[in-house]
Amino acid sequence: MLLTVSHLSKAFGDQPVLRDISCGLAAGQVLAVLGRSGGGKTTLLKILAGLETPDAGAVLLEGHDLLPVPPNERQMVYLYQEPLLFPHLTVFENVAFGLRIRRVAKAETTQRVREMLAELDLGAHAQKGPHQLSGGQRQRVSFGRALIIRPRLLLLDEPFGNLDAQTRADMQQLFLRVSRQHQITSLFVTHDSREALTVGTHFGYLDQGTLTSFPSVREFIQDPRTSIAAELAFWESVQQTGH
Amino acid sequence: MRSKPLTGTSPPRSARSIFLTAALVLLFALPFVLLALLAVAPAWRFPAALPAAYSLRALRDLLAADNELLAGLGRSVLLASVVASVATASGFWLARAIARAARPGRWEALSYLPYALPPVLLAVLIQPFIIRLRLSGSVGGVLLGLLLIAVPFATLLLRSFWTQQAREYEQLARTLGCTPRQALWQVLLPLAWPLLRTALFQTFLLAWFDFGLTNLLSVGKVRTLTVQVFTYVGEANAQLAAVASLLLLLPPALLLWANKRALLRKAD
Repeated sequence: MLLTVSHLSKAFGDQPVLRDISCGLAAGQVLAVLGRSGGGKTTLLKILAGLETPDAGAVLLEGHDLLPVPPNERQMVYLYQEPLLFPHLTVFENVAFGLRIRRVAKAETTQRVREMLAELDLGAHAQKGPHQLSGGQRQRVSFGRALIIRPRLLLLDEPFGNLDAQTRADMQQLFLRVSRQHQITSLFVTHDSREALTVGTHFGYLDQGTLTSFPSVREFIQDPRTSIAAELAFWESVQQTGH
Repeated sequence: MRSKPLTGTSPPRSARSIFLTAALVLLFALPFVLLALLAVAPAWRFPAALPAAYSLRALRDLLAADNELLAGLGRSVLLASVVASVATASGFWLARAIARAARPGRWEALSYLPYALPPVLLAVLIQPFIIRLRLSGSVGGVLLGLLLIAVPFATLLLRSFWTQQAREYEQLARTLGCTPRQALWQVLLPLAWPLLRTALFQTFLLAWFDFGLTNLLSVGKVRTLTVQVFTYVGEANAQLAAVASLLLLLPPALLLWANKRALLRKAD
């Protein structure tokens, strides 16, 4: 297992946010976690990123205790719903950011950034400012900025939530392609069951601080809390009525 | 039917707009013209419309090594620069602390308290403490007094920077590999720069033009340029008051010129 989370709990004041959460993630897997707002998804991701500390439990990365490691040394990038591009930097410099921080040689940085921009179809926009890009392009730059540092784990907090339906579908396909190509391990949180099914290789459901992991996609679909089976039944009934 | 060819020329300006522009220019320029005239007029007595004689002596005297006005300019620049830098830096961190406090509203309300008192009254209240600290009549005492006004001002101004989004930028920078120091220098300060620049500019002006607090705490020993202008006006020395006023207007005018793009960006 690349990542092992065991018996993780967190409360803010009297309010429990995460209750005894356990899960595991092997290299290259995408764990899609479905859940409503306020269910504890963001807190779980922030604990994994090192931005919050749990009250109890353990987080192991390749068997090593991750909790004492500061966020900048975890090699885990947290992606928000907003792309949060740095407005004072060009597209090129936004993508190069993580490499500049790591003091990677200039020639290597230039080469890797160019390759990344080409891969994300952003080569023509390298010298533009973030304000000159569309919503989908901004999210792609944000992806490139995260992927270029070759993260051990990508933590995605409803990253396509603010995009229109078509751009969202395009970004999901891009995520799938890039994930497979770079063998990226990710934890992808979303409230959209279709998105979870599109991007995930493994599935979970988080509600009121409790995580349910499903051994197969079939069980994920059949769990009444995900509402997927009910939605399928609805569309089937629509189709039958139409005939 | 033939359409009129489009020529890229703008329609001729109406007489009304020319008149309005001229009136505005006159309104803004007149005080400066009067100051310049006063500075070169050793004697300009009522009811003469213009000075009877002109002399550059007062301006030439500025170049003398022991000129008090030039020393006052240096003192004012030093004081206002230190106040602006210290107040902006402190305000940045205090605003951050307020944003992260359990009840930020209470602390924010406290920041308004110095504004409940006019600066002179504040100076009267803190004077006993300044005397006990043996800072009365010193640049340090004046600096402390000015900071009591400028720091809350900068804190309130910079409070708007520390939103949830600023926190998310900081956290993102940390997960991208930044240490807290790198996140500050590489991300937070560049993001906050437009507001920081405004805070620097405003606190500089606050200290630069202050008369009441500076005059009271300095007990006549720290003669800044503003204090000197008031002294010359009190002595009915119109020519020196005008020269001092021109010097007084110089740094704010330069700052306005340097910041014109930032100040006008909303209008663009």
